[in-house]
Amino acid sequence: MDSSLISTFLADGFLAPKYLGWLLDGWLMTLWASLLVVLASTLLGMAFAAARESGRAPLAHAAGVYVALFRNTPLLVQLFFWYFGVPALLPEGVLAWLNGTHALAVGSTELLRWPSFEFLSAIVGLVAYSTAYVGEDIRSGLRGVPASQRIAATALGFTPLQALRYVVLPQALRIAMPPLLGQYMNILKNTSLGMAIGLMELSYRARQAEAETWKTFQVYGVATLLYIVAIAALEVLAHGLQRRNARRSR
Amino acid sequence: MDFSFLQDDLTYLLWGTFPEGPPGGALLTLLLSAGSGLASALLGLAFGVLLVMLRGPALAALTTALGFLRAIPVLMLIFWTYFLLPILFGVDVPGVLSVMAALALVGGAYLGHGVAAGIRGVGAGQWQAGLALGFTRWGALRHLVLPQALRMMLPSFINQWVTLIKDSSLAYIVGVPELSFLATQVNARVMVHPAEIFLFIGAIYFVFCGGLDLLVYLLNRRPRRA
Repeated sequence: MDSSLISTFLADGFLAPKYLGWLLDGWLMTLWASLLVVLASTLLGMAFAAARESGRAPLAHAAGVYVALFRNTPLLVQLFFWYFGVPALLPEGVLAWLNGTHALAVGSTELLRWPSFEFLSAIVGLVAYSTAYVGEDIRSGLRGVPASQRIAATALGFTPLQALRYVVLPQALRIAMPPLLGQYMNILKNTSLGMAIGLMELSYRARQAEAETWKTFQVYGVATLLYIVAIAALEVLAHGLQRRNARRSR
Repeated sequence: MDFSFLQDDLTYLLWGTFPEGPPGGALLTLLLSAGSGLASALLGLAFGVLLVMLRGPALAALTTALGFLRAIPVLMLIFWTYFLLPILFGVDVPGVLSVMAALALVGGAYLGHGVAAGIRGVGAGQWQAGLALGFTRWGALRHLVLPQALRMMLPSFINQWVTLIKDSSLAYIVGVPELSFLATQVNARVMVHPAEIFLFIGAIYFVFCGGLDLLVYLLNRRPRRA
């Protein structure tokens, strides 16, 4: 590395606690948003995979069109659509309600507060996009389960839904786990696009801190490190799961 | 749905102020994607070959570097290249080039592992046959293994280009006037039809990416020559 870079780094000093706090807040928002998107897209992805494998042509076809549309357009444009476009299509009353403040409170302590419109549209956009990927991975997991498993379950008196729930899906998820964990890492990285529509996650906070401190190197250094820590944690989790699976199937 | 904004802004969205001014809009998106697509293919090839041929600490260093590129969001990498390239080279680097560099690095990192897997997939017999015929390790790679590996890997290269076209929209964040950036500009000016504007922009991307997707489908369907 250039020695002048290191000397500017040292002369500048490190970030003030205030800005480190911003970055940490942003990181927590990144993790929180990622968790929500992972959960929602996995649940929807299962329904989606079931639709594609249902054998009912219109349903499977519609799901196929969904995949093509959402995978072949940039997430950024989709987020712009959810954030700028959808409000123009919604009736006035609904929009006012979505933008308003609602809270679930017991007495004077607030339990849950209605999130900002930025947060809502970012989560909806990320879930809609991610479901197209997560759903396809679950589907290939479903296809990896031998048909005899479902037939055996039916013979044992399971209804088709029960066979899916108790016999096929658990095995499909185990097969789909490695690609799914890769998708979850993508989701975590994709939350960074939320900054374009004002989601106050790590990249947004980094840019904000950079604009105020001009300590580009330090700000992006810390932010990059925080992303790497989060991804590395997921990676460790993935290895652990894979080892457990390998032991089980032996 | 009211697409009347197209009357005034269609050509602006498609190619910016070109040919009077620099290319912009969808044209710049294509140029940006083509440039970074080419660079990422070359980088991916180099990374893949090195992953197979290197040993020891050099291999560990390369694996770490590639892991780093895959672990951080593309957006962060764009910030880094946008900020570091001018410092490293001591010259003004246009935004387009720094975005291209970032996209090429990410694409190369992903393709590198694919290329390495493709090379390993060709099978030990081919290597041994090459060595028996008097090729060096590099010679066998160049003349026997790589041509077979690349033919198998063409679909994954094209898939990576679809990702690149989509990721080129991130150039918006550093103000490069490609399609997404111009869309937000037009949207801010027109104000009243945001849904239509972004649907239209999505449709343009869909044509680009869907076309490549179709190509992969056709390539996969075609019976492969052994």
